[in-house]
Amino acid sequence: MYLALGLLGLTLIAGIFYKVSTGSGRSIQRSQIIDLARLGAHQNGQPVTDPGKSATLLLFSTEYCGRCPAVRRSLAEIESRTEGVLHADVDLTDRIDVAAKFNISQTPTVFILNPKGEVTFRVSGVPKPGLIQQELTKLGIK
Amino acid sequence: MSAELIDPRGPRFGAAITSALSLTAFGIAVSAPGGFFTAYPLIVLLAVLFSWSVFSPKTHPYGLVFKKLVRPRLAAPSELEDSRPPQFAQKVGLGFALLGLVGFWFAPVLVAVSAGFIFFAAFLNAFFNFCLGCQMYLGLKRFGLVR
Repeated sequence: MYLALGLLGLTLIAGIFYKVSTGSGRSIQRSQIIDLARLGAHQNGQPVTDPGKSATLLLFSTEYCGRCPAVRRSLAEIESRTEGVLHADVDLTDRIDVAAKFNISQTPTVFILNPKGEVTFRVSGVPKPGLIQQELTKLGIK
Repeated sequence: MSAELIDPRGPRFGAAITSALSLTAFGIAVSAPGGFFTAYPLIVLLAVLFSWSVFSPKTHPYGLVFKKLVRPRLAAPSELEDSRPPQFAQKVGLGFALLGLVGFWFAPVLVAVSAGFIFFAAFLNAFFNFCLGCQMYLGLKRFGLVR
Protein backbone atom coordinates (compact mmCIF):
# COMPACT_ATOMS: atom_id res chain seq x y z
CA MET A 1 0.00 0.00 0.00
CA TYR A 2 2.73 2.45 1.01
CA LEU A 3 4.73 1.44 -2.03
CA ALA A 4 1.75 2.21 -4.26
CA LEU A 5 1.39 5.65 -2.65
CA GLY A 6 5.12 6.14 -3.09
CA LEU A 7 4.86 5.31 -6.78
CA LEU A 8 1.95 7.75 -7.15
CA GLY A 9 3.95 10.46 -5.35
CA LEU A 10 7.06 9.86 -7.44
CA THR A 11 5.02 10.06 -10.64
CA LEU A 12 3.35 13.29 -9.49
CA ILE A 13 6.74 14.83 -8.72
CA ALA A 14 8.06 13.80 -12.14
CA GLY A 15 4.97 15.30 -13.79
CA ILE A 16 5.24 18.59 -11.90
CA PHE A 17 8.94 18.77 -12.71
CA TYR A 18 8.09 18.27 -16.38
CA LYS A 19 5.40 20.98 -16.32
CA VAL A 20 7.75 23.48 -14.68
CA SER A 21 10.78 22.75 -16.85
CA THR A 22 9.27 22.22 -20.29
CA GLY A 23 9.22 25.23 -22.56
CA SER A 24 11.21 27.41 -20.17
CA GLY A 25 14.36 27.56 -22.25
CA ARG A 26 17.89 28.57 -21.35
CA SER A 27 20.52 31.00 -22.55
CA ILE A 28 23.46 29.68 -24.52
CA GLN A 29 26.79 31.33 -23.72
CA ARG A 30 29.00 30.13 -26.49
CA SER A 31 27.89 28.77 -29.80
CA GLN A 32 29.29 28.13 -33.21
CA ILE A 33 27.76 29.88 -36.18
CA ILE A 34 24.89 27.85 -37.56
CA ASP A 35 24.93 27.29 -41.29
CA LEU A 36 21.25 27.54 -42.19
CA ALA A 37 21.79 26.30 -45.73
CA ARG A 38 23.54 23.16 -44.53
CA LEU A 39 20.75 22.47 -42.02
CA GLY A 40 18.22 22.65 -44.81
CA ALA A 41 16.33 25.45 -43.07
CA HIS A 42 13.27 26.58 -44.94
CA GLN A 43 10.19 28.75 -44.67
CA ASN A 44 7.05 27.36 -46.33
CA GLY A 45 9.27 25.23 -48.53
CA GLN A 46 11.56 28.09 -49.60
CA PRO A 47 15.18 27.56 -48.51
CA VAL A 48 16.50 30.02 -45.91
CA THR A 49 20.24 30.62 -46.11
CA ASP A 50 20.91 33.91 -44.32
CA PRO A 51 20.00 34.74 -40.72
CA GLY A 52 17.50 37.51 -40.02
CA LYS A 53 18.79 41.09 -39.60
CA SER A 54 18.08 41.18 -35.89
CA ALA A 55 17.30 37.57 -35.00
CA THR A 56 16.31 34.19 -36.39
CA LEU A 57 13.76 31.90 -34.76
CA LEU A 58 14.67 28.38 -35.76
CA LEU A 59 12.07 25.66 -35.19
CA PHE A 60 13.14 22.02 -35.20
CA SER A 61 10.20 19.76 -35.96
CA THR A 62 9.39 16.37 -37.39
CA GLU A 63 6.62 15.17 -39.67
CA TYR A 64 4.97 13.45 -36.75
CA CYS A 65 5.33 16.27 -34.20
CA GLY A 66 1.82 17.10 -33.10
CA ARG A 67 2.49 20.36 -31.30
CA CYS A 68 4.87 21.84 -33.86
CA PRO A 69 2.32 23.47 -36.21
CA ALA A 70 0.96 25.66 -33.42
CA VAL A 71 4.50 26.75 -32.47
CA ARG A 72 5.26 27.46 -36.14
CA ARG A 73 2.21 29.73 -36.34
CA SER A 74 3.23 31.66 -33.25
CA LEU A 75 6.79 32.14 -34.57
CA ALA A 76 5.41 33.31 -37.92
CA GLU A 77 3.21 35.74 -36.05
CA ILE A 78 6.20 37.18 -34.14
CA GLU A 79 8.09 37.46 -37.42
CA SER A 80 5.28 39.39 -39.05
CA ARG A 81 5.08 42.01 -36.34
CA THR A 82 8.79 42.33 -35.48
CA GLU A 83 11.21 44.14 -37.75
CA GLY A 84 14.23 42.10 -38.83
CA VAL A 85 13.11 38.82 -37.24
CA LEU A 86 13.06 35.79 -39.48
CA HIS A 87 11.58 32.40 -38.68
CA ALA A 88 12.70 29.17 -40.30
CA ASP A 89 11.99 25.46 -40.00
CA VAL A 90 14.31 22.49 -39.85
CA ASP A 91 12.67 19.10 -40.38
CA LEU A 92 14.48 16.45 -38.35
CA THR A 93 12.47 13.50 -39.68
CA ASP A 94 15.29 12.35 -41.94
CA ARG A 95 18.02 14.45 -40.35
CA ILE A 96 18.77 12.54 -37.20
CA ASP A 97 22.40 13.65 -37.63
CA VAL A 98 21.23 17.23 -36.98
CA ALA A 99 19.30 16.17 -33.88
CA ALA A 100 22.40 14.40 -32.57
CA LYS A 101 24.73 17.32 -33.36
CA PHE A 102 22.64 19.85 -31.48
CA ASN A 103 21.56 17.39 -28.81
CA ILE A 104 17.87 17.75 -29.60
CA SER A 105 15.89 15.00 -27.94
CA GLN A 106 12.39 16.34 -28.38
CA THR A 107 10.33 18.36 -30.79
CA PRO A 108 9.41 21.15 -30.89
CA THR A 109 12.76 22.71 -30.06
CA VAL A 110 13.29 26.41 -30.78
CA PHE A 111 16.64 28.20 -31.16
CA ILE A 112 17.00 31.98 -31.14
CA LEU A 113 19.96 33.01 -33.30
CA ASN A 114 21.66 36.40 -33.27
CA PRO A 115 22.36 38.24 -36.56
CA LYS A 116 25.69 36.38 -36.86
CA GLY A 117 23.83 33.08 -36.73
CA GLU A 118 24.99 32.05 -33.25
CA VAL A 119 22.54 30.39 -30.87
CA THR A 120 21.78 32.65 -27.92
CA PHE A 121 18.76 30.85 -26.48
CA ARG A 122 17.12 27.45 -26.81
CA VAL A 123 13.79 26.02 -25.71
CA SER A 124 12.89 22.33 -25.55
CA GLY A 125 9.18 21.67 -25.78
CA VAL A 126 6.42 24.16 -26.55
CA PRO A 127 7.74 27.58 -25.45
CA LYS A 128 5.77 29.08 -22.57
CA PRO A 129 3.47 31.89 -23.78
CA GLY A 130 5.33 35.15 -24.31
CA LEU A 131 8.76 33.59 -23.70
CA ILE A 132 10.18 34.10 -27.20
CA GLN A 133 8.91 37.68 -27.32
CA GLN A 134 10.45 38.34 -23.90
CA GLU A 135 13.84 36.98 -25.01
CA LEU A 136 13.74 39.11 -28.16
CA THR A 137 12.97 42.17 -26.03
CA LYS A 138 16.00 41.34 -23.87
CA LEU A 139 18.09 41.43 -27.04
CA GLY A 140 16.73 44.91 -27.72
CA ILE A 141 14.42 43.80 -30.51
CA LYS A 142 10.92 45.24 -30.49
CA MET B 1 3.80 4.02 -42.46
CA SER B 2 0.89 6.27 -43.34
CA ALA B 3 0.57 9.56 -41.55
CA GLU B 4 -2.84 9.41 -39.98
CA LEU B 5 -4.21 12.27 -37.90
CA ILE B 6 -5.99 11.61 -34.65
CA ASP B 7 -7.57 13.56 -31.81
CA PRO B 8 -4.70 13.76 -29.26
CA ARG B 9 -7.15 13.38 -26.39
CA GLY B 10 -8.01 9.85 -27.52
CA PRO B 11 -4.67 8.30 -26.45
CA ARG B 12 -4.77 10.32 -23.22
CA PHE B 13 -8.22 8.96 -22.40
CA GLY B 14 -6.90 5.44 -22.94
CA ALA B 15 -3.84 6.22 -20.81
CA ALA B 16 -6.09 7.32 -17.92
CA ILE B 17 -7.77 3.89 -17.89
CA THR B 18 -4.40 2.16 -18.28
CA SER B 19 -2.99 4.10 -15.34
CA ALA B 20 -5.92 3.05 -13.12
CA LEU B 21 -5.48 -0.61 -14.13
CA SER B 22 -1.71 -0.58 -13.65
CA LEU B 23 -1.82 1.22 -10.29
CA THR B 24 -4.35 -1.36 -9.09
CA ALA B 25 -2.05 -4.14 -10.34
CA PHE B 26 0.95 -2.54 -8.64
CA GLY B 27 -0.98 -2.00 -5.40
CA ILE B 28 -2.15 -5.63 -5.28
CA ALA B 29 1.29 -6.94 -6.22
CA VAL B 30 3.16 -5.14 -3.43
CA SER B 31 0.52 -5.24 -0.65
CA ALA B 32 -0.29 -8.80 0.23
CA PRO B 33 1.81 -11.94 0.41
CA GLY B 34 1.34 -13.74 -2.88
CA GLY B 35 0.24 -10.44 -4.41
CA PHE B 36 2.30 -11.05 -7.51
CA PHE B 37 0.04 -14.01 -8.27
CA THR B 38 -3.16 -12.09 -7.57
CA ALA B 39 -2.04 -9.20 -9.77
CA TYR B 40 -0.99 -11.41 -12.66
CA PRO B 41 -4.42 -11.47 -14.40
CA LEU B 42 -4.32 -7.64 -14.55
CA ILE B 43 -0.93 -7.80 -16.29
CA VAL B 44 -2.43 -10.27 -18.75
CA LEU B 45 -5.28 -7.82 -19.34
CA LEU B 46 -2.83 -4.92 -19.87
CA ALA B 47 -0.80 -7.03 -22.31
CA VAL B 48 -3.98 -7.84 -24.26
CA LEU B 49 -5.02 -4.17 -24.35
CA PHE B 50 -1.57 -2.99 -25.50
CA SER B 51 -1.39 -5.73 -28.15
CA TRP B 52 -4.81 -4.65 -29.35
CA SER B 53 -3.63 -1.04 -29.82
CA VAL B 54 -0.52 -2.21 -31.60
CA PHE B 55 -2.17 -4.63 -33.98
CA SER B 56 -5.64 -3.21 -34.51
CA PRO B 57 -5.87 0.35 -33.12
CA LYS B 58 -9.11 1.11 -34.96
CA THR B 59 -11.12 -1.59 -33.18
CA HIS B 60 -9.70 -0.93 -29.70
CA PRO B 61 -12.39 -0.61 -26.99
CA TYR B 62 -10.75 2.55 -25.53
CA GLY B 63 -11.01 4.19 -28.94
CA LEU B 64 -14.63 3.15 -29.39
CA VAL B 65 -15.62 4.39 -25.93
CA PHE B 66 -13.79 7.66 -26.57
CA LYS B 67 -15.52 8.11 -29.92
CA LYS B 68 -19.00 7.19 -28.70
CA LEU B 69 -19.11 8.64 -25.19
CA VAL B 70 -16.27 11.10 -24.58
CA ARG B 71 -15.57 13.05 -27.74
CA PRO B 72 -19.19 14.17 -28.29
CA ARG B 73 -18.95 15.89 -24.90
CA LEU B 74 -15.70 17.70 -25.65
CA ALA B 75 -15.08 20.77 -27.78
CA ALA B 76 -13.47 20.21 -31.17
CA PRO B 77 -9.73 19.51 -30.80
CA SER B 78 -7.54 22.56 -31.36
CA GLU B 79 -5.07 20.46 -33.29
CA LEU B 80 -4.94 16.94 -34.65
CA GLU B 81 -1.83 14.87 -34.05
CA ASP B 82 0.12 12.35 -36.03
CA SER B 83 -0.71 8.85 -34.88
CA ARG B 84 2.86 7.51 -35.14
CA PRO B 85 4.33 8.65 -31.79
CA PRO B 86 1.34 7.43 -29.72
CA GLN B 87 1.39 4.20 -31.72
CA PHE B 88 5.05 3.81 -30.88
CA ALA B 89 4.25 4.53 -27.23
CA GLN B 90 1.77 1.64 -27.26
CA LYS B 91 4.58 -0.65 -28.40
CA VAL B 92 6.72 0.55 -25.51
CA GLY B 93 3.76 -0.19 -23.20
CA LEU B 94 3.42 -3.64 -24.72
CA GLY B 95 7.13 -4.21 -24.14
CA PHE B 96 6.71 -3.49 -20.41
CA ALA B 97 3.55 -5.62 -20.20
CA LEU B 98 5.44 -8.52 -21.79
CA LEU B 99 8.19 -8.05 -19.21
CA GLY B 100 5.60 -8.81 -16.53
CA LEU B 101 3.74 -11.43 -18.55
CA VAL B 102 6.80 -13.53 -19.31
CA GLY B 103 9.11 -12.42 -16.50
CA PHE B 104 6.58 -13.56 -13.88
CA TRP B 105 7.43 -17.20 -14.60
CA PHE B 106 11.09 -16.52 -13.78
CA ALA B 107 10.81 -13.87 -11.08
CA PRO B 108 7.28 -13.01 -9.86
CA VAL B 109 8.48 -9.58 -8.66
CA LEU B 110 8.65 -8.50 -12.30
CA VAL B 111 4.86 -8.21 -12.21
CA ALA B 112 5.26 -5.24 -9.87
CA VAL B 113 8.13 -3.76 -11.90
CA SER B 114 6.10 -4.03 -15.08
CA ALA B 115 2.95 -2.51 -13.52
CA GLY B 116 5.05 0.27 -11.96
CA PHE B 117 6.63 1.33 -15.24
CA ILE B 118 3.31 1.17 -17.10
CA PHE B 119 1.66 3.31 -14.43
CA PHE B 120 4.46 5.88 -14.48
CA ALA B 121 4.28 6.37 -18.25
CA ALA B 122 0.49 6.16 -18.55
CA PHE B 123 -0.17 8.58 -15.69
CA LEU B 124 2.24 11.21 -17.07
CA ASN B 125 0.58 10.86 -20.45
CA ALA B 126 -2.99 11.12 -19.14
CA PHE B 127 -2.61 13.86 -16.55
CA PHE B 128 0.46 15.86 -17.60
CA ASN B 129 0.18 15.44 -21.37
CA PHE B 130 3.72 14.10 -21.35
CA CYS B 131 4.04 11.07 -23.59
CA LEU B 132 7.20 9.28 -22.50
CA GLY B 133 6.98 6.76 -25.33
CA CYS B 134 6.52 9.55 -27.89
CA GLN B 135 9.61 11.36 -26.58
CA MET B 136 11.54 8.13 -26.83
CA TYR B 137 10.60 7.92 -30.50
CA LEU B 138 12.93 10.74 -31.56
CA GLY B 139 15.51 9.74 -28.97
CA LEU B 140 15.65 6.15 -30.18
CA LYS B 141 15.67 7.24 -33.80
CA ARG B 142 18.74 9.29 -32.95
CA PHE B 143 20.49 6.16 -31.79
CA GLY B 144 19.27 4.26 -34.82
CA LEU B 145 17.20 1.82 -32.77
CA VAL B 146 13.94 2.43 -34.61
CA ARG B 147 13.37 3.29 -38.20
